[in-house]
Amino acid sequence: MRLLVIEDDTTLRESLCRQLVDAGFGIEQAADGKEGLYFALEYPVDLAIVDLGLPEMSGLDVIRELRQKGKTYPILILTARDRWQDKVDGLSAGADDYVVKPFHFEEVSARVNALLRRSGGWAAPTLRAGPVALDTSRQELKVNDAEIELTSYEYRIIEHLMMRAGAVISKSELTDRLYDQDFERDSNVIEVFIGRLRKKMDPDNTMQPIETLRGRGYRFALERNQDQ
Amino acid sequence: MSSLSARLLISVSLLLVFFFGVTIVVLDSAFREAGEQAQEDILDGMLMMLIAEAEPNSRGELEMPLDLREPRFGNLGSGLYGALFDDRDTPVWTSQSSLGLNVPYGPSPDPGANLFSRLRLEDGTPLMSLSLAVQWELNDGELKPYTFNVAQSLDSFNAQVASFRRQLFTWFAAVAVIMLTSISFVMRGLLKPLRQVESEISEVEEGKRQVLSDDYPTELTSVARNMNILIGSERARSERYRNTLDNLAHSLKTPLAAIRAVLSEQPANDMSERVETQIERMNDIVRYQLRKPAMIHSETVGVVSVPVSDEVTRLVEGLSKVYREKSPEFELDVTEGMRFHGETGDFLEVAGNLLDNACKWCRRRVKLTIHPLRQDGGGMRLTVEDDGPGIPEQAADALLQRGTRLDESAPGHGIGLAVVKDIAASYGGDVTIAESDLGGAAITVTIAAP
Repeated sequence: MRLLVIEDDTTLRESLCRQLVDAGFGIEQAADGKEGLYFALEYPVDLAIVDLGLPEMSGLDVIRELRQKGKTYPILILTARDRWQDKVDGLSAGADDYVVKPFHFEEVSARVNALLRRSGGWAAPTLRAGPVALDTSRQELKVNDAEIELTSYEYRIIEHLMMRAGAVISKSELTDRLYDQDFERDSNVIEVFIGRLRKKMDPDNTMQPIETLRGRGYRFALERNQDQ
Repeated sequence: MSSLSARLLISVSLLLVFFFGVTIVVLDSAFREAGEQAQEDILDGMLMMLIAEAEPNSRGELEMPLDLREPRFGNLGSGLYGALFDDRDTPVWTSQSSLGLNVPYGPSPDPGANLFSRLRLEDGTPLMSLSLAVQWELNDGELKPYTFNVAQSLDSFNAQVASFRRQLFTWFAAVAVIMLTSISFVMRGLLKPLRQVESEISEVEEGKRQVLSDDYPTELTSVARNMNILIGSERARSERYRNTLDNLAHSLKTPLAAIRAVLSEQPANDMSERVETQIERMNDIVRYQLRKPAMIHSETVGVVSVPVSDEVTRLVEGLSKVYREKSPEFELDVTEGMRFHGETGDFLEVAGNLLDNACKWCRRRVKLTIHPLRQDGGGMRLTVEDDGPGIPEQAADALLQRGTRLDESAPGHGIGLAVVKDIAASYGGDVTIAESDLGGAAITVTIAAP
């Protein structure tokens, strides 16, 4: 999953980004409202974290602009002003949730995970489809209640596929979500990761959780469980 | 004497009493003097007539004819009396009208002089008498002293004076009443703009209007203009103050967030725990102390009123997003057209904190009720209920008391309710915690004014 962090305080932004990267997210970061808006419009983003008090362009204006331009991904507000007036203004402008400064990182990552899940149509932190259960808060994958060891790249791919279960996801989208901008991109790597995932999750090749659509991408093919 | 019209009426009344009193005294004494002069003239005339009618008889003495030209001398009890005394003060003649009465006359004057006197009959009737001493030259050339006396009852004169006084008083009283009535009507008209100022100022206080209107008489225009300048500067001042504190809060919290973020990247140890405690403390202080500007603002003049239902809608929409996973059922019971007379921020702070708590604790249901406090539509009663576990009575007291003093060791949660309580108090209101019919807590904020 690729996140955009717009925050003008360098120490805070960089620390937050490092921790988000450690938590397995791809990151774009911007230090002011204008730059943030540009990234938010032009880069592939699954969720934006926006500080309300930004230079150049206020966080509220960035959010309004994004929504007006038809961007529907979740937006999490960081605000130092924890008066309800500001929270309500932010939520009315199009944000989906808020975190009040000074926050604990766990708070942010919990909100981010919840928002991402919700935007993928999942209600609970554990995504269940048939025998597959992905616990997004503990980053654990279980098949038939047996835990499966994953590398962080493998986890990012299965999370992205499962979050949007049923939808076709192109190779380039997966590459975008997998690497930060500076990394060298090689789509063959995706094929390798998908192959390893298939082997780990479905050694007997009976369940076939990940479907390949030639020339279009991949799809998580298992039906979501009814209670999700 | 707080009322201008009362002051004016009392001053005018005192002036009227003084001027009318002086006028009455002057008129009365003038009337009386003129009347007395007339009485003296009449007595003088009567005396001249008696002297003209007196004739010396054959015995060398003066004698009065039986029939005098003035008939009242002959009528018993006519009130006009006459007498003629000789040099031994023995009556030579008394008029028939004084028959049976011991009419007193004044002392004899010097010869040739006349003397007016005020006397009384035995029954108390006041008299005015005139005596004239003459040296009458008889036929043989002998001079003999005589005294002519006339007296007249003052009864009818006094009655006239009394009646004049009565009329005088009646008329002046009538004039005074008419004057005071018309003055109070004029005053009412003159004071109307002042009453308008008063009612507009209270409307500004109640948030029903922003500034005073500008259609005042010339004398009041500058007062209204200055009031408006004052209201404006007061508003700007508290706005500036609030912004300053807001910015201060903002600029303190971002570094706190940065410290916390950097800290959480390090492996947890004793040191990081201690720093974390201090961050939490600082955060509590910033959160609580720097929220106060909202309250200070609400005490200043010239705030506007907020349509409650619009803000409630915005809040509920926002909270529905935040609590989408839990998706609480909101039940709203808000009186139509209800307005909160104060800052939007304050209303949002009260309703937001209470609804947020209710969403946090509820199982499924959150109910918000907002009605006017009184029959006339004034005041506000806002209740937020939920079907959560509720608040035990002891904890409720502790929660409400925290508002008065933020203890250094107070943990972060509960500040929301403390803020609600402080805002309510700044509007002269109160917060109570009770049990809801839904099963959880029912927190009610009552705001009396306006």
